[in-house]
Amino acid sequence: MRIFYGWIILAFLSIHFSCSSDNDGLPEEAEEISPVNLDLNAVPYPKLSDYNFFKMPFSDMAPVYGVIPYEPVSSLFSDYAHKKRFVWMPDGSSATYDTDATSFEFPNGATLIKNFYYENVLPNNSKKILETRVMIKLSDEWLFANYIWNETQSEAFLNMDGSYVPITWNQNGETKEVNYRIPNGAECVTCHNINEVPLPIGTKPQHLNRNYNYDTGTQNQLQKLKDFGYLTDFPNQINTLVDYTDETQNLELRVRSYLDINCAHCHSENGFCNYRSMRFGFENTEHPEHLGICILPDEDISPWTNGGDPTHIIKPGNHEKSVIYYRLNTTLENIRMPLRGRTLIHEEAVNMISQWIDSLEDNCE
Amino acid sequence: MKKKLLLITAVTAFMNLNAQLSFTTQTVPAQGSYKMCVVDMNGDFLDDIVSVSSQNINILFQTESGFESADFTTSSADNMPGWSLAAGDFNGDGYNDLVYGGGGGATFMISDGTGNAYTETSPGDYIFSQRSNFVDINNDGHLDAFICHDVEPNVYYLNDGNNNLLFHQGGLGDYSTGGNYGSLWVDYNNDGLIDLHLSKCGGSEARYTDQLYRNNGDGTFTNVAAEANMDNTTQTWSTAWADFNNDGFMDAMVGVSSFNTGGHKLMKNNGDGTFSDITIGSGFDNFPHTSWEYVPVDFNNDGFVDVFGSGNKVMLNNGNMTFTPVNVPFSTSSIGDLNNDGFIDVFDFGEVHYNDGNNNNWITINTIGTESNRNGIGARVELYSEMGMQIRDVRSGEGFSQMNTLNTHFGIGSDSEIEKIIVRWPSGIIDTLENPELNTTLVIVEGEHQMGVNEIETHLFSIYPNPVKDILNVQGKSLENSQFEIYHLTGSKLMAGKLSNGKINVRHLNKGIYIISILKDGKKSNLKFIKQ
Repeated sequence: MRIFYGWIILAFLSIHFSCSSDNDGLPEEAEEISPVNLDLNAVPYPKLSDYNFFKMPFSDMAPVYGVIPYEPVSSLFSDYAHKKRFVWMPDGSSATYDTDATSFEFPNGATLIKNFYYENVLPNNSKKILETRVMIKLSDEWLFANYIWNETQSEAFLNMDGSYVPITWNQNGETKEVNYRIPNGAECVTCHNINEVPLPIGTKPQHLNRNYNYDTGTQNQLQKLKDFGYLTDFPNQINTLVDYTDETQNLELRVRSYLDINCAHCHSENGFCNYRSMRFGFENTEHPEHLGICILPDEDISPWTNGGDPTHIIKPGNHEKSVIYYRLNTTLENIRMPLRGRTLIHEEAVNMISQWIDSLEDNCE
Repeated sequence: MKKKLLLITAVTAFMNLNAQLSFTTQTVPAQGSYKMCVVDMNGDFLDDIVSVSSQNINILFQTESGFESADFTTSSADNMPGWSLAAGDFNGDGYNDLVYGGGGGATFMISDGTGNAYTETSPGDYIFSQRSNFVDINNDGHLDAFICHDVEPNVYYLNDGNNNLLFHQGGLGDYSTGGNYGSLWVDYNNDGLIDLHLSKCGGSEARYTDQLYRNNGDGTFTNVAAEANMDNTTQTWSTAWADFNNDGFMDAMVGVSSFNTGGHKLMKNNGDGTFSDITIGSGFDNFPHTSWEYVPVDFNNDGFVDVFGSGNKVMLNNGNMTFTPVNVPFSTSSIGDLNNDGFIDVFDFGEVHYNDGNNNNWITINTIGTESNRNGIGARVELYSEMGMQIRDVRSGEGFSQMNTLNTHFGIGSDSEIEKIIVRWPSGIIDTLENPELNTTLVIVEGEHQMGVNEIETHLFSIYPNPVKDILNVQGKSLENSQFEIYHLTGSKLMAGKLSNGKINVRHLNKGIYIISILKDGKKSNLKFIKQ
């Protein structure tokens, strides 16, 4: 039950009825109803505001009641874009736990909302929201809907065509630039699928089992979802990723966490790159061969490595002989990894993974 | 615009112990970021080296004395050829155009009619491009562009004849989440219609099962992979198609990018629309390398087509459907004859690997379409010599990523003469040439050698050499003092005069394709020639 001790909204009207109806004469305490508007027969809506996910001003991305923020332990690198993620579910419905390494089983109408934005965008050092990606669970499949924000940041409009937005921003005193890619609809499913069935990626228990600073205080995200009624239950022990940006954590765990959230959606048994031997899911990478350690590459990328001549996917002790280093440390689209979602080199990750490879003992036969 | 460049070359010899095949490596100053194309760009049919960057096409033009470098500035390309590049004369102006297959779409570079500039055109449709090809899909005489889509049904741009690109999706590989890596246009059933083979990979078995689209001749295509026994479920990015046993039908070497669901396959075309797996004992069963690139070519001119692209090996065709690996200094690379010696050379990443050649005889054919598309892409070329018949298709876009020469190349081993060459054009026109000269280039213009057509009436005269550098010789009965005119393909008259001793000095003409017209007794007759 989602109990709210404050202002109250009439609940028995049709879902299409305005939520700002007269509330005189209602009891002092009642269930608050989320003002989110979601008609499964009418989505995707033409405008982001049609869903009523956010309070005004819209561009603050402050969620209305029932729209719960979340953040995975480790995040996909998207050309340094910031992200704000939210989950919403229809009243009375909830997700269920399956395994640590699989996304929750979501109820119909469950909605994931992910805003992509940059801070300190030049010339005005302002925040700029570029797109909001919405995933809605419809009966047995997930619908992708992408909304592109206007210049005045007052609205975002449904657009599945894909486009590029040049962005220049200041990051820790350094000016960076990117021709930011807003994906075409077909690009979504490239990563967001298992057995070619569309699915969310970052909503696995192993990604969400962490604390989050809510308006109401700091709380474990899974507990929060359970308390709110969005999650039936979850186990006490969850094999959880670490935050790869947290340098106090074990280096190997950081690397495994990075490879999970950035690579495992394709490099898994049922992903598009299932024919390569790597299995980058966090649950698999305790095994060195799943990381590509001492594994010979299928494709010879040495011509693109300026004489680097890598010998193995990961050559322990020598990142310069490791294919993975060149895959990450390039912008060439035919050899870069991940294929999607980045056009810039994630320098911090390249350094981290290089450091880890160099720390490994060479035990290849 | 064009700056001459004296090439300083570092030459290293790469000799193979086998001695059947050896290459000499030389660095060339290809300036572009994407070094993946060998094709003629100035209309002289000599293969040039093309490398491209976002705002530039760098061409190393082949000349008798080496390469001349030229840069052609373009507006910024929306898509770069990260996945593939193909070339073909899309607008039919005598100069090849380019298509870049990028991860977000396709960009075209269209020549301006003079070969002096290129216009960048990016239609904007989302395509996760893989292999691209120029091919006349609807056989209307205009080249179209086909692009494999990684995550959606395949797409193509039809050329409406006014050089407009009309986007189409559907009918040529429609699996909803794609998995299309290598498109190879080949007439597998010898019905004169060009068919489409798709090398597929990744995801579920349905996604990675290869497809073979039979051209029904009415604008539709039907996937007949299962009945043809070509529904291979290997992880394949490209397939090398050639008549490996010279029986007149195109066979397929299905190369793998990963051994995850099986190894390489050699598929023999049975000639009845089906294929047999003859991998065991062929040499490909023991070939341990993987690659995205598998390309057919006769490197040693012995009359049997070899395969390369993987593991720094050429799989030399032994002539009996078995292949032997030979070490070479290249895998993924572009091929063409870069010194015009009749042996196919290799360009990769700023280096040319010159084929050291041998004593085998050869012929190179330049196809010029008239009714069909200008390049003659889709034409089937047959060569008959003592060793039997060989066939080639004129193709733009073989292997996975690279662009190779559009010239048709045959080795004939020690055979000392060629009985005849037959070209079956996409238009249906058939040209037959008997006893062509060996070890040289032969230009075949569509329709100029049709059997049964009165040679005297159609051709009052013949010309040689073709291609020509300086003096064009004109032969025919009583031609002295006949009026001649020479036109560029675009129609502009460049020369006119009266024949004297049957010789015309054409040294001053720019490289390209020209028409010579001779008027005699009130009858006019035309022939095309290439100025080098």
